[in-house]
Amino acid sequence: MSKTVNCRVVSKGVAEGEALVCSKPIGFNFGVDIPTGKIIEHGHELEGISIKDKVLIFPYGKGSTGGSYVVYQVAVEGTGPAAIINLNTEVIIACGAIMGGIPVVDHMEENPYDIIENGDWVKVDAVNGTVTITKKGEN
Amino acid sequence: MKLNDDQKMMLDGGRGEGARIAMEMIVAIANVYGAEDLIPIKSAHCAGLSLKSHGLAGMRWVEDMAAKGARVVVPTTMNVVGVDRSRDLGLPKDWVEPQMRIEKGYEAMGCFGTSSCVPYYYSFLPKFGEHIAWAESSAVVFTNSVLGARDNREGGPSAWAAGVTGYTPNYGLHLDENRRGGIRFDITCDINGIADYGAMGNFIGKMVGEKIPVLVGLDKFKPTTEELVYMGAAMASAGGVAMFHAVGVTPEAPTVEAAFGGIKDYDTVEFGKKELEQGYHNLTCGKSRDVDFVAIGCPHMSLNQVRQIAEMLDGKHIKDDVTMWVHTNMAIKAMARELGYLQKIEDAGAVLTQDLCVVLSCPEVLGFHTLATQSPKMAFYAPGNNGFDVWYGSEEKCVKAALTGRWED
Repeated sequence: MSKTVNCRVVSKGVAEGEALVCSKPIGFNFGVDIPTGKIIEHGHELEGISIKDKVLIFPYGKGSTGGSYVVYQVAVEGTGPAAIINLNTEVIIACGAIMGGIPVVDHMEENPYDIIENGDWVKVDAVNGTVTITKKGEN
Repeated sequence: MKLNDDQKMMLDGGRGEGARIAMEMIVAIANVYGAEDLIPIKSAHCAGLSLKSHGLAGMRWVEDMAAKGARVVVPTTMNVVGVDRSRDLGLPKDWVEPQMRIEKGYEAMGCFGTSSCVPYYYSFLPKFGEHIAWAESSAVVFTNSVLGARDNREGGPSAWAAGVTGYTPNYGLHLDENRRGGIRFDITCDINGIADYGAMGNFIGKMVGEKIPVLVGLDKFKPTTEELVYMGAAMASAGGVAMFHAVGVTPEAPTVEAAFGGIKDYDTVEFGKKELEQGYHNLTCGKSRDVDFVAIGCPHMSLNQVRQIAEMLDGKHIKDDVTMWVHTNMAIKAMARELGYLQKIEDAGAVLTQDLCVVLSCPEVLGFHTLATQSPKMAFYAPGNNGFDVWYGSEEKCVKAALTGRWED
């Protein structure tokens, strides 16, 4: 059984992948290793974990505006997330994702932290504005 | 959000793929900030052009956008980069070449390759009330505060997108209600010279975050344009300041009441000797007093500042094992050459650079350890960004350090 929730489209595209849920903001500039897609910010809850091909759920971006180019770079190198779900997307993530063609949505009608867990299969339709979640083990 | 026919046409790809991506970015930013519409801009200033920010992928993106036909439709200037295109400073080839490709990419899109943080010193002077989309935090503060133009703290991509589309989302400092003061500083000590202004800007920026500070008591010191540039640069680097008011100095603050736009409920902070000293303290992390690198001119120096340095160096020679960079841009440098100031600086063994600055370049690969500067912005970023120990103080102290190799209080 999968569940579909409406959301706002920030950066257009359609993609799916395994959910990686992060409760803290992510700063891409000096925070993500471009060749591997691993989070390298010291002490971050995802430190050492790769965001590659995941549907990455985090509240919003942080850090310097140079982060947009890093979002773009991981997209080009193939080490970036398949799609991003934010509570509130800010400009760094929005610009970088549009540059790199990564689908981004925010403002889901249900709180993503209540209905998505690590390992769920998530499809982000950032054209029609929907997120479809298939719970782990049900796909 | 409301889009007019021109904007919808761009979003549908009517002006090509590059402009479509730029418009998608502008619309996304408008949504993020809840802007109701987009407004036309008179000029844009692209920043984040250093290879440090772009990386090789960013370089390819710029070239891709140029190939996809993205072209700016308003005068769009380029910010400081990481190389001086007029000379070999000894920087590695794998730094210089991709950096030059980034510059050429933006130029191919119609940007002015003047590579400087102070375009208002040469040909690009926004006027009062004009809507613009400039990145480079020090220029954002200056255009808003001193010129009275209307600008948000743009990032590199958003300023590029505004230049290509000719529009920016109508939010933030484009709207009257967001230009009012948020906190008052009563200045009770003497403020003399650019380093004092930088130290004051650092203290205030660190304290206020993103609020608009209102400075009361600055008018009696009759600050110069350059002093206001440096104070603003310090505020913008130490905090998120995009605008300040100085009562009796800046155009939207003829009175305290006007600066606060009628708001009466605000905090007041006294800025005295102790606070000024704290600003200096924040900007200084020197350990050894043996200085091997002196770099001044961040933001880039005006012609008047360059002449002052030329006069201080006239007939002298900097110490053999010290390197001195004086940062400005190609416009000011060309004037300095014609007028003989460049010769005096070069005869003294110093370098008048164009296009670049310490923070956005990589002088650390040249093996320097201890930097002396009069720049509150360089002093803020250089320890983390370049790994230098920093002494911060007046031009006179910096020139003395270059001549003797020693920093003296």
